Amino acid sequence: MSRLQGPSSHKRKQPEPNSASGSLTEHERILYHVIKSKQNMGIWTRDMKWETKLPDYVVVKSLKSLQAKKLIKEVVNVQNKGRKHYIAAEFEPSKEITGGTWYAGGNLDTEFINFLQKHCVKIIYEQKVATLEGILDTIRRSRAFNVEFTPQQIEEIVNALVLDNEITEVESNGMGEFDSIPVGTVCYMCTNKGGRKGEPKIGAMASIPCGVCPQISLCTPDGIISPQTCVHFTKWLDF
Amino acid sequence: MVTQYGIKLGVHLMTNQFGNIVAKVCESLLRRGPLTLQLIVRFTELTPQQVKSSLLILIQHNCVQAFSLEQQDGLEDGPKANTQYLALFNNILHRMRFSKFLKIVSSEFDECKELLEGLLQHGRLTLKQMVEREREKSSKKDGNCEDIVQENLLKLLAARYVERCPIHEPVLATPVKDETTAKRRGAKSSKRNEESETIEQRVLGAAAPMDAQRFSIITNTGSNVSRETSVGEKRKYDALELDRESAVEEEEVVLLRANFEEFMCRLRHKACIENVRTRLDDGASIVLRAMLEAVRSLEKRVKTEKSVPLSLNTIFEEVMNSEEGRGMTLDRVRASLVQLGCSSSARGTDESYSIDLKKIVELAQNDEVESIVLKRYGRNAYKMFRLLSKTGCLVETEKISDTTFVEKKEAPKMLFKLWSDGYLHMEKITVAAARQSQFLLWKVNKPSLQEHVLDEMFHAALNLSKRVAYEREKEKELINLPADKQVMSREERHKRRRNVAFVLESSLRELDDAVMLFHDFEEPSLLKA
Repeated sequence: MSRLQGPSSHKRKQPEPNSASGSLTEHERILYHVIKSKQNMGIWTRDMKWETKLPDYVVVKSLKSLQAKKLIKEVVNVQNKGRKHYIAAEFEPSKEITGGTWYAGGNLDTEFINFLQKHCVKIIYEQKVATLEGILDTIRRSRAFNVEFTPQQIEEIVNALVLDNEITEVESNGMGEFDSIPVGTVCYMCTNKGGRKGEPKIGAMASIPCGVCPQISLCTPDGIISPQTCVHFTKWLDF
Repeated sequence: MVTQYGIKLGVHLMTNQFGNIVAKVCESLLRRGPLTLQLIVRFTELTPQQVKSSLLILIQHNCVQAFSLEQQDGLEDGPKANTQYLALFNNILHRMRFSKFLKIVSSEFDECKELLEGLLQHGRLTLKQMVEREREKSSKKDGNCEDIVQENLLKLLAARYVERCPIHEPVLATPVKDETTAKRRGAKSSKRNEESETIEQRVLGAAAPMDAQRFSIITNTGSNVSRETSVGEKRKYDALELDRESAVEEEEVVLLRANFEEFMCRLRHKACIENVRTRLDDGASIVLRAMLEAVRSLEKRVKTEKSVPLSLNTIFEEVMNSEEGRGMTLDRVRASLVQLGCSSSARGTDESYSIDLKKIVELAQNDEVESIVLKRYGRNAYKMFRLLSKTGCLVETEKISDTTFVEKKEAPKMLFKLWSDGYLHMEKITVAAARQSQFLLWKVNKPSLQEHVLDEMFHAALNLSKRVAYEREKEKELINLPADKQVMSREERHKRRRNVAFVLESSLRELDDAVMLFHDFEEPSLLKA
């Protein structure tokens, strides 16, 4: 990617209008310049129209022609999938446009993420106490994935697992299970306390209908929704 | 924190137990803060006699405390006109917890259960009344009854489960006056609660008997006057007072009541131990229990942040004293202490440990709120909420969806929902130059979230309690139906009634544990960030 953005793109700048894009019309050239000036961020068609002040049909036609000449490409913008977004062919769309590593074709690659997460949980479960390096190392050695992960990517995955309450973050104290890990290192352990895996213990409030009721703010002792008329209560107490 | 639904729940409890008139008086005090007799009469539109007897009932049951303000100028008619009545919201709520209090006492001193039951039932009793109650029950010989009651009472006093009633009408210095007027003006603002908190604390502080006196009674056993104190300190003071007071108090009636504070302290410890057991393991909970047991008599307030520091040896000894703890080695105890996040301060060769109880309460609160979010809004909301709760500062929408792997489209919708239901705080930032001009930042605002959750819990408790009453009414109607119109057989109906009552009542009991977590176990001043 850096190669493309580097000297080669710079080199191309001058000869372009003469060679591949030598046959560009005036409108196409203006449009191409605008798109290219946005580098890896690309630009939305409406913004193009506004910046170039070209009429709609000209823009549409020019875009088609530029695309046919492989000078620009259409990319999916995760922020707004409905918008037509273009970027010059030599650039790779930025993280803001694609959504980053975990996105594929503008969608969150949940299948891949889930698979990787499960794999990480399995590693942590087997090792009982695992460090980030330990997890990364095991993944690399297992060859379960044909992609190389960076420590940062694995950290992202592990952090999400902590938020999911699948695993817990603990600091090593150098004793017992932690004896091989330096004191103060962040470690991960599986949380499966309180019964079912992954599910935290259900609190007192969450175990009664009112605790999960989206209408609780509309419920009053003598109102239309009230504890006497509540359907959730009736269902709950149906023995 | 006295929230809107908290007041409604309190009034509901009062109505259930003492009827509408008493509840009306109580409601006007809860809503408006301390009032004089005349003002109560005016606001409730009841007759002075009705108000008077209601107040007497409320005072008898420790739900109201009278106090008067120190007079500075002669504008007021007389000292009587200035007596104000303050509703004690906490004590009103404690009425839901009597069964829990009884359970604590019966697990420690089973023989004292009836004595406490009498105190809870009647609010305040003299020794003589207690003896009479015992006599009625057991129909034993007089002397015997007195001895039993006295013996049991001393046990309860020593454990601080029973205390002397506070002074009837303490006099407060004037500064309070400004606060009360300010309070009446902004009756509905949330600020009122904070202010009344300070008044309540001042009044209760002024009314409380000296520690030495609080847990003692004069027992006239034959010829000598014996006095029992459970509190080690102030013995000197005690001795000095003995002569002066014993004469006076022999005629004066000593009123006793259950000491809710001590019970709440026990329940708080119990909740912490339980939380540690589920979050960590049995070992950690055994160690925590032992530590709390060892410092029990030293703890002065319900809401202590940190337990009194103990040396490792003392902790180990205490652990060995309990049956479950006998299998633990010193290393295991030390590991559990680390697990508990104990801050050990090494002074010389002695390691001493104390436990951050506030932290445990906080974690338990988090669990409770998170589980509501999970059940009500789903897993994605749960993840985002946990992220915000963990970071504790403003986070941008994009960053939230990236960190939690929630679809960029879904994240803002869910966050917005949590915000509109009062679970999140949101801020908009508009940037002039950038492509995306508006950013939304989200945050968990702990103090306001806790108040919101607590209010919902009060609401839910009120709902459960109302439903209990409704089910009872329905049952009565069913019984009165003619035989040919009965849908269920008697056995079926009986079974259903039992199930319904069991589910509702046990849910209410557990919900009350959660209420205590947010309302009674944390220092309100600490909530204000």
